[in-house]
Amino acid sequence: MKMLLSAAVALGLAVTAVWGGTTAARADDLQAIKQSGELRAAMSGAYPPFNFVNEQNQVVGFDADIARGIAERMGVKPVIVTTAWDGIIAGLLAGKYDTIVGSMTITDKRKEVVDFVGPYYHAGRGVFVKGDSAVKSLADLNGKTIGVTLGETHEKWAREHAGEHGDWTIRTYKGLPELLLELNAGRVDAIVVDNIPIRVAVKKSGAEIRQLDTPDIEGGSVAIGIAIRKGNPELHAAMQKALDEMMADGTYKKIAMEWIGADIR
Amino acid sequence: MDFDLMLRVTPFFVAAAWVTVQISALSLALGLAMGAIGAALRLARSRLLRVLGTAYVSIFRGTPCLIQLFVLYFGGPQVGINLDPFAAGVIGLGLNIGAYMTESIRGALVAVERGQTEAARSLGLSRFQALREVVLPQAARLMIRPLGVNSVALIKGSALVSTISVVELTYTAQRYIGSTYKPFEMFAIAAVLYMIIVYGAARAVAWLDARYAIE
Repeated sequence: MKMLLSAAVALGLAVTAVWGGTTAARADDLQAIKQSGELRAAMSGAYPPFNFVNEQNQVVGFDADIARGIAERMGVKPVIVTTAWDGIIAGLLAGKYDTIVGSMTITDKRKEVVDFVGPYYHAGRGVFVKGDSAVKSLADLNGKTIGVTLGETHEKWAREHAGEHGDWTIRTYKGLPELLLELNAGRVDAIVVDNIPIRVAVKKSGAEIRQLDTPDIEGGSVAIGIAIRKGNPELHAAMQKALDEMMADGTYKKIAMEWIGADIR
Repeated sequence: MDFDLMLRVTPFFVAAAWVTVQISALSLALGLAMGAIGAALRLARSRLLRVLGTAYVSIFRGTPCLIQLFVLYFGGPQVGINLDPFAAGVIGLGLNIGAYMTESIRGALVAVERGQTEAARSLGLSRFQALREVVLPQAARLMIRPLGVNSVALIKGSALVSTISVVELTYTAQRYIGSTYKPFEMFAIAAVLYMIIVYGAARAVAWLDARYAIE
């Protein structure tokens, strides 16, 4: 199923690349957004505390507030779209929404297909095990099973570093909730995830977990950006300006303190 | 089990179930229309039309519905078809189930003994009259059950549109799991609501079946 999804999305991207080359030059997305009066921002809706639904079924969180703040400063109405993470870039390229404000790590590979506004916060990679696990370091994970979210940068890291610390088996999941359940159920021995959301998740789920000490881990601090379609310098400038204003006038700090409990810029 | 939480979020699941009902009903209507057209093509005298009908059935039954939805939703804009998630879901599911409907309808038509058509034709009825007056009334009864089975499969298959950002029953459950970390409770609510919808559809089919049963 997962392979199928990835294959389909990859196919979609390839098709986009082929056809995209032939489409004529078009106006900057900013005009279209101003005209419609809406900034459509995509996120998975399943990544607390950055974006998730509250009990009233409203999408809230750090990302949602940042997206709303940017839209308001641009003088348009924010519209939050929730969509599955593994197709989120394909959806942006297909024009289903204007931007992804969904805690996306800025990578060179992604920069080939989208442009990034920001970074709007920094996060880091963490390796977590069950509280009572005997695993003390990455070396102890030799022969163990590692859980990651499909399509996240941690999946790539886990694949590239398999073998380096002995050998580990990689299993991919839909998101943090599934990873935590699998870790607790003992189906995976360790999970590789962003180190901020997991703290909130642990508090919520009551799971007992421990972070491995990995001082030199690649990606210990990474930049998280807001994705827009390529070739939109005016939209990029307008969103960057809005973000900068929010960071300068204290709005950003207020949002960060509310959802994360720390200024994470 | 966190019953308090389940009670609090159930109204939102019911609203999402309504989306599932709507998307199922609309794609069922499209699927039945496509099934009628498809069966007509499959049984047409023209070879070209038959090939068209066969191609439709092979393509939509021979590839996963998920891929069809992705091609339509993510790939569509590249060829100028830009559908919102709900419309893409209805059209994708409708075209897919239409291929199954085609085969069920064709099967029912073929099941009516050939001699009856021949007898009707020899009495001077046109091909169309023979179909409408003799074959269809008998075939219609034979269609009810297979079309009912397809409809139930369609309702359950509608969960697939959660992947193209339609916030229906399944995606609502997934979003709530993301924030509550209660997969059992959330999927249980979704499962019960699916069962209610499927039960309703099954009752409707049983009623039709009894209504048109041959004594």
